[in-house]
Amino acid sequence: MKTKFLFPNHFKKIGWLILIPSTILGLLTLFELTELNFLEINVFAIYSTMFPGPDTFFGIVSNNIANELFGILWIIGAILVGFSTEKHEDEFIDKTRTESLVWSVYANYIILIFCMLFFYELGFYYIMIFNMFTILIFFIVRFRYMIYKSTKNLNHEE
Amino acid sequence: MKNNLKVERAIKSITQEELAKKIGVTRQAINSIELKKFVPSTILAIKLSEYFNKSVNEIFFLEDTD
Repeated sequence: MKTKFLFPNHFKKIGWLILIPSTILGLLTLFELTELNFLEINVFAIYSTMFPGPDTFFGIVSNNIANELFGILWIIGAILVGFSTEKHEDEFIDKTRTESLVWSVYANYIILIFCMLFFYELGFYYIMIFNMFTILIFFIVRFRYMIYKSTKNLNHEE
Repeated sequence: MKNNLKVERAIKSITQEELAKKIGVTRQAINSIELKKFVPSTILAIKLSEYFNKSVNEIFFLEDTD
């Protein structure tokens, strides 16, 4: 059975190789533990605003692109890890993947609702940053866990 | 849905692993079908029926809840 919309298996390894370093570098820049000044460049912005400061529509702004760079790399890495086929792909694995995806969407938004109620101002801003990534994290963790569980079940059986 | 895959497997004395390889699925899939945790697709059901040389209805049975 051919599964739609998935990357070939060997992309998973590439995914991890992108995901791990971009997680570390992303967290370091997010918490400002490292400053990569050479990434401060002029970029094109559709819309940019700062308080206090002028709005920019379709113009050039100065920005440190560390967040953007590591954010994009992280997403690419996580997509490859989450959506590459397993070495032995079949309909059972496919069903596990789909169910994990549904589960992770629920988990993500239940947690977000909780955070909407109990986090405010800059606190919620940080939640929003993490929330951009959590759905993929939950999905990958849940999927790996379900695969692990079904493998563990096997050794019980025989 | 119920099934007697385990019985059929015992008759042929073939392990989950061997059956999985013959049919081209993971061992988890065979195991989950036997544990009634997974309902296989029509394709997989027919492949299994062909392997055991029985009709699909002789391996898989509907339950009241189906």
